[in-house]
Amino acid sequence: MRRTASLVLLAFAVFCAALSPLLRWYAFPRLAKIPPDEYQTAVLEAAPATLIDYGTMKPRKVPKVSIVQTLRGNVAAAEKTGRTTGRDVVVWDALSYIAGPDGKMVSRIPERYVFDAHSQDPVHSGGEHVDGDAVRRDGIEFKWPFLTEKRDYRYFDAQTRTSAPIHYKGTRTFRGLEVYYFEQTIPWTKVPLPKTMPVDGVTPEAVRKAGTSRWYTTKRMFWVEPATGAPVNGEEIHREELRGGTLLGDRDKVTVFSGHVKMREDYIKHTVDLVSSQRQLVLLLTSYLPWGLLTLGGGLFALALWLEARSRRPRPAAAAGTSAAEPVVSGSS
Amino acid sequence: MRALAAAAIGLTAALALVLTVSAIGGPSGETSPEPLLTTVPEHP
Repeated sequence: MRRTASLVLLAFAVFCAALSPLLRWYAFPRLAKIPPDEYQTAVLEAAPATLIDYGTMKPRKVPKVSIVQTLRGNVAAAEKTGRTTGRDVVVWDALSYIAGPDGKMVSRIPERYVFDAHSQDPVHSGGEHVDGDAVRRDGIEFKWPFLTEKRDYRYFDAQTRTSAPIHYKGTRTFRGLEVYYFEQTIPWTKVPLPKTMPVDGVTPEAVRKAGTSRWYTTKRMFWVEPATGAPVNGEEIHREELRGGTLLGDRDKVTVFSGHVKMREDYIKHTVDLVSSQRQLVLLLTSYLPWGLLTLGGGLFALALWLEARSRRPRPAAAAGTSAAEPVVSGSS
Repeated sequence: MRALAAAAIGLTAALALVLTVSAIGGPSGETSPEPLLTTVPEHP
């Protein structure tokens, strides 16, 4: 009976000990992925900000500029791209909509971001673009990979349509979560004019023909929860200028936008709550279950060995009974 | 010999469980009917 029990315990011990690394290194990389039907919004604000008045072509101080970012997973496009590439792909159709203090459109930049659902590496298929311009992304955008590392990453900048390093600057605590802080500075760079201009009758072609170009610089900051790779906060110190040409009269340049853009408080709280719950699922597969199963496997193995050792040891009562009976038997013969 | 058989059963069960769970994956869902926003929402 004890031998059977020890064998059953041994089978469970091996089951637990084998499951531990299999969960961490086989199941987790396959199960952890961005769902293709994700829908997310975020609102950021620059308050106050400097914004160009296109009527006078002069910058003016405004109380607030809002940036509304929407990410919507395109399931049909993801399935189609997945079939052609043989990968688990996510296609995000995104819109960055900038509204002035009166709610009117200042800028709207649509994007399509195609990436691997597991690694978040960009996939060069499925029509990735920024404002209608085909792009070839190198590096990440919007989200870091699961189990983010303490190192620099390449981050895609939608304005310049290029990627540049985003630097790991240390570990911080943000709203009770341990996060990695990343920073990227884009120096003054000439960038394309938006396809949709905020003033009726003004087209990017007309601005270009006037010899005026758009320049931009930004310092972007992200606080990233490392288990999920999800940013829980983002800020940008963003400046844009129009330079040269007949549109500016006798001026060399004029500020189009300048402001410190921060995530709105209610969206920070919403994101922190969401990421905190998702974090537990990631930790379950990468830490809690693997370590728990390994400990349980070790315990079961020790118990199996102990039972096996006991089953092989002669019973003390039986041994004592045999030795006491012998003299009686020998004496009577 | 019986110990080896017990260990093999445990290992096979672990492999079968992980392979099955990994193969099932999750549902792909559908594209959200929500729009790409062009107004500032009041709350998340």
